[in-house]
Amino acid sequence: MPRQATPQAAATKPAAEPQSRRRVKRHRDWWVYGCYAVLVLFLVWVLVPILQVALNSFKTENDIFTSTPRVTFHPTLSNYHTVFGQLAFLHYLLNSTIVAVGTTVLSLVVGVPGAYALARLPVPGREWWARGILFTRMAPAVALVVPIFVIFDRLQLLGTYWALILADTTFNLPIVIWLMRGFFEDVPVELEEAAVVDGTSRFGAFIRVALPLVTPGLAASAVLCLLFSWNEFLFALVLSNSQTQTVPIGVAGFVGTVSIDWGGSSAAAVIAMIPVFVLGLLAQRFLVRGLTLGAVKG
Amino acid sequence: MSRVARRRPPVVRRARAGLGLAMLTPTAILLTALILVPVCYSAYLALYRWQLIDINGAKTFVGLANFTHLLHDATLRDALRNTIVYVVVCVTVELVLGFAVAVALYDITKGRRLANSLILLPMIVTPVVTALLWRYLLDPQFGLVSQVLAAFGRPGIDWFGSTSLALPGLMLIDVWQWTPFVVLVLHAGMLAIPEERLEAAAVDGAGRVRRLRHIVAPAIVPQILLVLLFRTMDTYRIFDTVYVLTKGGPGDSTTTVGLYAYQTGFTYLNMGYAMVLSLFILITISVISVFYLVLLRRRGVLRR
Repeated sequence: MPRQATPQAAATKPAAEPQSRRRVKRHRDWWVYGCYAVLVLFLVWVLVPILQVALNSFKTENDIFTSTPRVTFHPTLSNYHTVFGQLAFLHYLLNSTIVAVGTTVLSLVVGVPGAYALARLPVPGREWWARGILFTRMAPAVALVVPIFVIFDRLQLLGTYWALILADTTFNLPIVIWLMRGFFEDVPVELEEAAVVDGTSRFGAFIRVALPLVTPGLAASAVLCLLFSWNEFLFALVLSNSQTQTVPIGVAGFVGTVSIDWGGSSAAAVIAMIPVFVLGLLAQRFLVRGLTLGAVKG
Repeated sequence: MSRVARRRPPVVRRARAGLGLAMLTPTAILLTALILVPVCYSAYLALYRWQLIDINGAKTFVGLANFTHLLHDATLRDALRNTIVYVVVCVTVELVLGFAVAVALYDITKGRRLANSLILLPMIVTPVVTALLWRYLLDPQFGLVSQVLAAFGRPGIDWFGSTSLALPGLMLIDVWQWTPFVVLVLHAGMLAIPEERLEAAAVDGAGRVRRLRHIVAPAIVPQILLVLLFRTMDTYRIFDTVYVLTKGGPGDSTTTVGLYAYQTGFTYLNMGYAMVLSLFILITISVISVFYLVLLRRRGVLRR
């Protein structure tokens, strides 16, 4: 598995490094000002699309549809009333929550013991297991969705929550295994050995010693599963029906139509983004680690 | 970066292989059922010509006809060309821009934590929502970009109605969403560079640019390879934004292989051929990943 070579990068948060690292050239030269300029420009580019839609969600149609942008406008909550007034959107939120929680629980319950086995236990062909699981991360949804659709049709799973939960597990399970494997390896093995010497079973050592020590890893994995599942679109598009459609399907519905309800869809976009931002900032330290399957512990 | 000595698994005495296998079994079952079985099933169903409505009916066995069609499929050729252009441009721009911003982030003295939190926002936004954000930003009449252009007396641009601008419009969205990922990965790599090396170089009179070229850039090659691996794989499978914004249009100007496989199955209902396209995507993506994985392993980024 990809792994960062130098351990000191592993644990340090970017902001919490020793002060001496800036000693190279202490005085504020033009270079540092240039760096700030680059960052500010980049942050403007990053934030403008998000801020625009957030502003639009509080505007009336009249304030949105002006060819000359108005700096001041009377904020209104009418768009949010529209969105929350639609039963459909509440349904999307509920469905997204059910699917996200379901796939998170399934991926953790199945993946965490697997990760532990790969980290600690003598498994024949261990590296091949690990590689096989890594390979499944490479299998893209666009290549799986057609056959999965046919199989789920046979099993009469189409349109059920299970269809989406199982499909989302295809990408969440490998992430959980690779992430948790790294977390388990960071636990000092002596603790488990001591427990085994004291008479605990090997499995008991996993449950009672190792598992409590990787709680941060479990939390990080859970948050990432929730996040990726919340954002998933293609499986939801193909495998759901009107009863199980998720938030991305609802938001896509706003774009597909000929006339777009700008205010309403902006409010829907903001509502869809709020949980994602909360989860993302909660898992900030582990986000890159999860996205790179544990290779970068930034 | 030094080669990682592979850590031997600290095997606790008394542990038997049986327990490890038992704990891996649920994973094996799920991944087999959800990935291996569908892939094999699609190879089987690709031998038949059948429509989505025949899903429970009789299917005509056509042997390898669906596979030979792959070779003469003009739409696939267009889709492949669009996808390759998309992959190459997005990955290149994201890497160059991401490197510049990562360096900036590395060299500032204050506000790094705040910048970090803000930078990561795009990559966690739901791709469908991202499409919506940019649909509004790029709206020919009321979008912010058009309004800025109008201020300079220029007409608004209909990005997604134009065969030449629709694909670049989609690339712009990818660059917005995923450059932050590149920034954060490369930045993490830079933080691992031992300061003494930079200080020594500074003492020897190496300027900023020389230190970047001869110390920083070589040190983060593993992170660059990782970024290339993940961004190549993920841009190759692009679907959400294309589906929401253009559905491949105008014409076939934004049809990508992922979208084409989806449309073949669920719009044109040609399931037999959709299976072939799914396999095609899987195989090409595997070849690309194996190429990168071998490179990564040579650099010692991967275990073994």
